[in-house]
Order: sequence, then structure tokens, then C-alpha cells
Amino acid sequence: MTVALSRRRGAVGSPRRQEKGRAGERDWIGNFLATIFLVACLVSLALVHVWLRLQVIHLGYVLSTTSKLQGQLEQVNRELKLELATLTSPDRLEELARSRLGLREPEQGQVVILP
Amino acid sequence: MKGSSKAIRSRLVLAGAVFLMMFLAVGLRAFQLQIIQGEKLKRLGERQRLQEWTVLPKRGSILDRNGEPLAISLEAQSVYVRPRRLKDPERAAAQLAKALGMRQKQLRRRLKTEKPFVWVKRQVTPREVQRVRALRLAGVGMYYEPKRYYPHGRLAGQMIGFVGSDSQGLEGVEGYYDKFIRGEFGSLVVEQDALGRKVMVQGVERLEVPPGADIHLTLDASIQSLVEKQLEATVTRFRAKAGTAVLVKPFTGEVLAMANFPFFNPNSFTRFPSHRWRNRSVTDSFEPGSTFKIIGAAAALDEGIVGKEDLFYCELGRYSYGGRVIRDEKKHGWLTLDKIMKYSSNIGLTKVVEKLTKDRYFKYIQKFGFGQPTGIDLPGEAKGLVRSPSRWTRVDLAAHAFGQGIAVTPVQLVMAYAAIANGGFLMRPYVVRRVVDSEGKVLVEHESHVVRRVISEKTARELTSILTGVVSDGGTGVRAGMEGFQVAGKTGTAQKADLINGGYLPEKRIASFVGFVPAEDPRMVLLVLLDEPEVSVYGGVVAAPLFRAIARGTLRHLGIGPQWRATMPLPVVSRPKMVRVEDETAAVPRRKRAFGFPNFQGLSMREAVTRASALMLKVTVRGHGYVVGQSPAPGSGWRHGSTLTLTLKDG
Repeated sequence: MTVALSRRRGAVGSPRRQEKGRAGERDWIGNFLATIFLVACLVSLALVHVWLRLQVIHLGYVLSTTSKLQGQLEQVNRELKLELATLTSPDRLEELARSRLGLREPEQGQVVILP
Repeated sequence: MKGSSKAIRSRLVLAGAVFLMMFLAVGLRAFQLQIIQGEKLKRLGERQRLQEWTVLPKRGSILDRNGEPLAISLEAQSVYVRPRRLKDPERAAAQLAKALGMRQKQLRRRLKTEKPFVWVKRQVTPREVQRVRALRLAGVGMYYEPKRYYPHGRLAGQMIGFVGSDSQGLEGVEGYYDKFIRGEFGSLVVEQDALGRKVMVQGVERLEVPPGADIHLTLDASIQSLVEKQLEATVTRFRAKAGTAVLVKPFTGEVLAMANFPFFNPNSFTRFPSHRWRNRSVTDSFEPGSTFKIIGAAAALDEGIVGKEDLFYCELGRYSYGGRVIRDEKKHGWLTLDKIMKYSSNIGLTKVVEKLTKDRYFKYIQKFGFGQPTGIDLPGEAKGLVRSPSRWTRVDLAAHAFGQGIAVTPVQLVMAYAAIANGGFLMRPYVVRRVVDSEGKVLVEHESHVVRRVISEKTARELTSILTGVVSDGGTGVRAGMEGFQVAGKTGTAQKADLINGGYLPEKRIASFVGFVPAEDPRMVLLVLLDEPEVSVYGGVVAAPLFRAIARGTLRHLGIGPQWRATMPLPVVSRPKMVRVEDETAAVPRRKRAFGFPNFQGLSMREAVTRASALMLKVTVRGHGYVVGQSPAPGSGWRHGSTLTLTLKDG
């Protein structure tokens, strides 16, 4: 078997040179693939980085808008609380009860304290 | 061949030199930009790209004891001008003055300045904001600022206080608890894009500054409103200069209401003179007059020097003592201590404290808390004026006995009466129950605090009995009496000291009444005081009816009914038209079932509960409206004290 292989190699050129040439070719392909892989990895990493950066900026926008909205809603909430307190102030309620509903102070005997 | 290779080489050298020069130029430029001008350019870039986001401090709210907001902060806008950027200051002043309702002349003067920044108007209304925006003036801007609102207007204005334009607490609770309530500033540098939109890539943690804590008062807004209304009506009716009312819970020292007329509205405090901002209940002292007599009586009883049956001769209204003549309003002969108090005899009390000696009397004045601050959590508390007994003349002892030559604050006086009401303990008054931060953590909590025992329980009971006599028939405080309640209290008609010429002003008086109710189980202690009333000057005429009006409303609000309800005649209440009476004999047992359980069905809640209470039944009510069901059923067996469950439905 070894003899046959030697003969076949011998037909192309110097068997050692041929061997060396093939190994070099394989190394080159291997190096090329490794480089491509490395470049692809680097490009991917760069893309991921850019994507992440874009995401951060996008979320930054969202956060900014949401913070603003939160502030506005809190302000509205406080305004409504203020309005409620103003509308239910004892003086105003008494005035409304007297003028609009025609109510008056109860007489002594009319007040029943519930148990 | 040789020549061409030489030419190529020289070209290469030339190209190399050109590239080298270019690299050198680029390197030098980079050095200039990065190293020499680096800091400056970085700053310029940051100024363009970065912006400071500020979170204004959120001031906490002030709430009454039922959670009703009495002070709330909102964000309002303030208008400013950068005068150097104004193109036409004259025109800008005219337009701004019109938009903001200001005087053009005054505004023009303010804008003609070398200052880089000038406030035009602070905390403007939303409509004014719109008008200013519509002007589109360069150099005019708006800035968010917190603005404090008091939704109930003048209600408890002096007690709550107010804040300045920079949101700093200035008076009242706002000032006293400022460090808890004010909140903190928050700021964060954020990036902004070409359109000026903020990009918060750093997160918002630094913007999440906690708002100020909320203050929960002991004050009841409804009772405060009632007190203010009655106080104003009485001051107006008797044409008094001013009026004060302080209402506290005797067993805890909680202040339920504190009013000082004339009032002011903290929403627009600058429109009122500064003396109106003062909470005179704690900052001002006055000569108490006859309301102070109780201190002498308390000392005499507690020391066991005077018995209830001991008689004192009241000299028929005129008594020469220590070189002065002491007078009574009416002529009295021999009186016991309770009658001395009932008729408010100056001569009688002088003789009582004379037996005490001035050192022992002074000891009780101090024990009751006079001459020292009560420790109430409000700013500017006065301690009153109590001179050392070593400086008292003989007549001073008598004068102190009927409340002259001594100055007390309304809060001190009301707490002294609270000590009598609660069985002898001097309590520390307080207006804030709790301070709670935004996460619900309690930062400050006030509970009832006993300062000291002043008198024995027995003495307190005897004093209560004496004070109920003052409000009974023939007493000076009879007009403070209420149907269904026993009132204990004392009137006061004090002369006003002449601060310029010395002595007393001939016609100026302070009319007051201080007392508690119900006498046997006190739920409230109230002091009412009217300064210089003109129509009548007597405490029994001016202040006692005011006490009654406030006390009646307060007891009703607190859900305390008259104590003689079980024996009182049933009130005649007309039945509402809507009532669905299925059985006309409802609650009026027919003869044949006279001893069965009464039928309450068809009655209104008020009528059913009134009748059930009169029958001494324990009532449980479900729903509201008219009675549609009851347990036990009508006609079944019953006895006094049985439990009755009423089911009601809207008619």
C-alpha cells in the first residue's frame, strides 16, 4: 500500500514537495477561515454593540418620555386632590346645603346619635 | 532604464514627503484640537449635548385628623427675563405688563437693569402662561416652581402658617415642621439630541428624590370651621376687636381647633398685615381675670387649707386690702368657696389665697404650667408673665387671685382647665399627630404626654363640681349651659392693662369663658376670648353663649348625645311624607299587645332610634332610610337593655 502511494505521488513530482504544498494550502485555507471567522465575530460584536447602543438610546427616549408623563400625571393627581378638597370644604358644603338644598341646622331634639 | 527608476524613486520620495507633511498637519491639528483647545471644546460640546434635568422638591401635604388636605403643593410657572437678550425692552415691558396684569411703568424700570436675570412674576396662572407664550419674546422664559395651595382658604390659617416664594416654611406648622415637609432637590445631567429631546441613558435613580413627608394634624377641619364661624359671628355681634378660641381634648392634649379672628388667607398672605399672621393663641399673653380664680381655689383645696363648707365674708362688695380697695360686681356676705366661684367674688378669693400664703400659691401657679411654655409644637410660643413671689406686694397676692398682674397665653389657660377636667394631670398640648414620609414610615409620632400631676383626683372632682355651679342658675356662666349636658366652666372679664400710662384702661375689657363638657366625662375643653367687645364687656354675656354654640356643635360632631336621653320626653318630629307606614300604630303598642315588642317598621332611622333609646334598648342599625325589618319581631317579649336590630332601606 505504501509503495503504491509512493508511486502515485512520484508521478506528479517530488513527493515531499507535493506534501508540503498541500499542507501549506490547508494551512492557508485554515488561516483564511479563521480570519473570516474572526472578522465575522468582530463585525457581529460591533453590530451587537451598535444595536445595544441604539437600544440604550431608544430606552433613554422612552424613559425620558415616561418620566415626563409620570411627572404630568402626578401633577394632575395633585390638582385633582386640590380640587376635591376645595369642593368639599366645610364652608362650601354648608353654603350649598343651605342655598341649594334648603337645609338648616337641626334642632336639639332632631339630632339622634347612632349607636 | 536607470533614469526611469531614479525618477520613480524621486516621485516616491516626493509622495512620501507630501503624505508625511499631510500627516504632520493632521497631527498638529489634532494636537491643537485635543490638547491645546481640548478642554474648551469639550465644554462647548457638552453644553450643546448635555442638559441638567432638575426635579423640584415636592413639599409634603398637611392633612387634618380625618385625612382632609389642608395644604397641597403643585407646580406653577414663574416668568423671568434675561434683559440683555431683549431686543426692544420698552415693547417687551408693555406686552408683558398686559399679559401678566402688571404695571407697565414698574416693569419697564425692572427690565432696565444690568443684571443678567430678572424675575417678572412668580407663580403665574395657566392663563397667564398661555398669554406669555403667545408673545414669543426672545429673552423671556418660564421656570417651574412649586406653589403651595390651601384649599380651605382661611381655615386655621394662623395655625397652618404659609410658605415663602421659594417654598420655605415661614409660619405655623409649615415653619415648625419645615425640615420634614420641604422635600429635596434632585438633578441629573442628561444627553439631548439635535431636536432638544432628552435621552436619559443614565437611568432615573438620581431623579427619584423622595418628596417631603406628610403632616397629619390633630385638628378637625369640620370643628375648626364651626369654631371660626361662631367666633366671627360673635366678634361681629359684640363689635370686638379680636377673638380667640382654643379647643383641646382633655385626656390627650390634642388640639382639635385653634382660631384667631380676624383671620387671614394663607393663599394670599401678603395682602394681609403681618399681625394677622400671628397665632395669638400661643404667641400672645393676656391678663386672664376671673378665669384664673380656679388656680387659687385648686391650691386651697389641694393643700387642704379650705374645706367646702368653710365660709368667707365677702365684705358686701368692698374690701380695703394692702392699701387698695377690692370690689365685687355684686354685694355678697358670707360665702362658701363654691359660691365665691359661682358669683366670681374677688373679695372671697382674696381671702382664700391669703390663707394659702404666696409661696404655696405660687407653687400651684407654676404646677399648672403658667410662666413657662407648654411645649406645643408651634413656633413663637410665649411663656406668659409670672413674677417671683419675692417681688409680690401684699396686694399682688390678691390681684393674682383674681387674675391681675399675671399674664398667660390662651393655650396655657386651656391646658390648666384640661388638668382639672382629666383628674389632675397637666398634659402637653400638640397639633401634629404624625409625620409620615412617602414610603409610609412614621418619622414623628406624638402621643399624649403627661407633664406632671398638678392636683389630686379628689381636688379635681371638687373643682369640677364648683365649676358646674358657675354654669348653673344664678352663676355668672349660666349662658354657657346646654340642655342635656352638664357644663363646667368659668367666666372672665379682665381689664386691659394700659401699656403707656400704667394701670388699667377704664373701658377696655377682655371677655372670656373657659370650661369643659360633659362635666362628668369631659370630651372637650374650650376657651373662648373676645378682645375689647363694645356691646357688652362681660364674659358671661359675650363669651359664655359662644362657648355654648361651639360646644353644642362639637359634641354633635363627635357623636356625643345628651346624657338624659333615657328620661327625656320624646321630641315631636313630624313624619316625612315619603315614609311608608304599613302599620299606623308603629312603635305605639296597641292595647292588646301592650307588653309585646314595639313595631318600628316604616319609621325613619331618626325616629326609630329615638324611640328605641327612650325604651333603653341597645340599637344596631343596618342600612339607611326607613325601617323595613327588625329583630326581635314586633309583639315578642322584651325588657329594658334588650338589643334591637333594625334593617333599613331607602324609601
